[in-house]
Amino acid sequence: MQLFLTQILNGLQLSMLVFLLAVGLTLIFGLMNILNLAHGAFFTLGAYCGVAIAAATGSYWSALVMGPVLPFVVGFALQLLVLQPLAERGRSTHLDLALLTFGLLFATAGAVEWLYGSAFHAIPTPALLSGHVSLLGLSYPAYRLFIIGIGLAVAVGLNFIFDRTLIGATLRAGVDDRAMVTALGVNINVLFAVVFGLGAALAGLAGVVAAPLMSVYSQMGIAIVVETFVVVVVGGLGNLKGSFYASLIVGMTDAMSQAYLPEVEMFAVYALLIGVMIVRPQGLFGRVGRVA
Amino acid sequence: MSTEATIVGAVSERAAADPVKQSQRVARAVIVAPVLMVLALPWISTPYLTILAIEIMIAGVFASGINLLVGTTGLVSLGQAMFLGLGGYGIGIGASVLGLPLWISVPATLALIGVLAVGIGAVCTRTRGVEFLLITLAFSQLFYGAAIKLRLTNGSDGMSGIPRPDLSFLGLNSDNPMVFYYYVLAVTVLAVAVVWRVVESPFGSVLAAIRENERRAVAMGYSVDRYKIGAFVLASIACGVAGILQAQYTYFINPDSMSWQLSGEGVLMVIIGGATAVTGPLIGAAVFVLVKQGLSVLTTEYMMFFGIFFMLVVAFFRGGIVGAVQSLFEKKS
Repeated sequence: MQLFLTQILNGLQLSMLVFLLAVGLTLIFGLMNILNLAHGAFFTLGAYCGVAIAAATGSYWSALVMGPVLPFVVGFALQLLVLQPLAERGRSTHLDLALLTFGLLFATAGAVEWLYGSAFHAIPTPALLSGHVSLLGLSYPAYRLFIIGIGLAVAVGLNFIFDRTLIGATLRAGVDDRAMVTALGVNINVLFAVVFGLGAALAGLAGVVAAPLMSVYSQMGIAIVVETFVVVVVGGLGNLKGSFYASLIVGMTDAMSQAYLPEVEMFAVYALLIGVMIVRPQGLFGRVGRVA
Repeated sequence: MSTEATIVGAVSERAAADPVKQSQRVARAVIVAPVLMVLALPWISTPYLTILAIEIMIAGVFASGINLLVGTTGLVSLGQAMFLGLGGYGIGIGASVLGLPLWISVPATLALIGVLAVGIGAVCTRTRGVEFLLITLAFSQLFYGAAIKLRLTNGSDGMSGIPRPDLSFLGLNSDNPMVFYYYVLAVTVLAVAVVWRVVESPFGSVLAAIRENERRAVAMGYSVDRYKIGAFVLASIACGVAGILQAQYTYFINPDSMSWQLSGEGVLMVIIGGATAVTGPLIGAAVFVLVKQGLSVLTTEYMMFFGIFFMLVVAFFRGGIVGAVQSLFEKKS
């Protein structure tokens, strides 16, 4: 029973980590119709920034705050200076842009390897969170609870922004009818770039947050991004709430298979995805009929 | 001076009078010269170039298969490497676990790939666009994971000792690069010819119709799902053939041959070559293999340059090299 409870918490923690990535991916897809295969690159960038900042300042907290800055800037610039102009020049079919970001994913991994080598790095767990917390009769690492907390906070925060603020209303309007929002005087290109940057920053945040737990290496983004794709497809591409529930499903599946069926660990989530695809090709929480 | 001018004028007049024959002659020269070169290559070049040519042909078969999906049908798959790997593992398991000769294991492998592709294709073709891309990717990751985990495939160490065909009845030894070159050449010609026939057939026309306007194809009464699955199966078998050749070429197969980077490389070759049915993927494969070789001489950071190269090609070269050359000629005329 204790083991099972630990696994549930592990699953939750993994879910929240994947959610931080998936929410950006799904936001970018829902708004800009771009499948950003390079999302894992921002995860890697954030983690390496975190490592560098933590090494320079000795503080985990400054790494946590500053780490996502570079991913934000890169994401913002990528959308505004590369993807947006290409889309306007008629390379619109978002498959082209998806392939371009595929190249970016590998270019980033290669560049990081070139700069830092292929060694493994890590950020030490902050002293405040290095202990264990006793919870329901078991002792659980505080840092993992912290990750769950961050994920939930981001989910609640985004939900609030999306549903209750003017920015959120503009974003929702942009998803529905881009031309109309432009006609209302919103500079949609900048808005899109900001959202792209925000998604990238969340991926970077996930990178920093994951750094004390997972090893930081040049191809870490490539490894996790495929799992993120599973989440966004299961949740329905472009569906914010769907991506939250799908993160829970995928994270739990992964954690449980790791604990109880290690033989299928590598492919349990993909089997899940294929099952979902057979039953509901538009995703579990997807709206019907986005003709891509 | 004046006589010369008349002669030139007469020649060009004659050429102008019969432009069909003229262009036929040019076309024949354009076709015959490379064919002779390809046939004679192992004799007139260095062993290094022969090996490079073998790699180009194998990549060309792989790209031709992908092109059937990406170029002809308009379905962008990022998972075709799974069939490349399955081809290699098929004959690897056939040889080292089951002890089967190649003349059984190769057809059995291709048949198995075909059956698998029917099932996988049936699931994948329920989606389109980026969702299709993602689900093919997920399937390939599934097989990638299986190849790492299963004892049958010897995990991430991979399987070595993949047999090359036994050509001793011809008095030849396929371990010799020159002999292997002609074997790969024969298979490549066969595979590309089949793909070409498929694209040119009525079946291929329906695939093109699906690419151009799927709704209209449905409205015309075609059950597009079956055509898409058919294209998926044929493409997968072509990729399986490439995988068999690849494994025989290196005597080795490991899970990396199913990685999604490899699938991406295949798509890149198709994009480089442009969507032309036969020549495009071959040219794309040639450019890709040569650039990769060049990069590996210059730098060890292959991955970074692969990514940058990929981005540049997608951003500036979407019509591919064949497309770029064609538009150049169109501008001139």
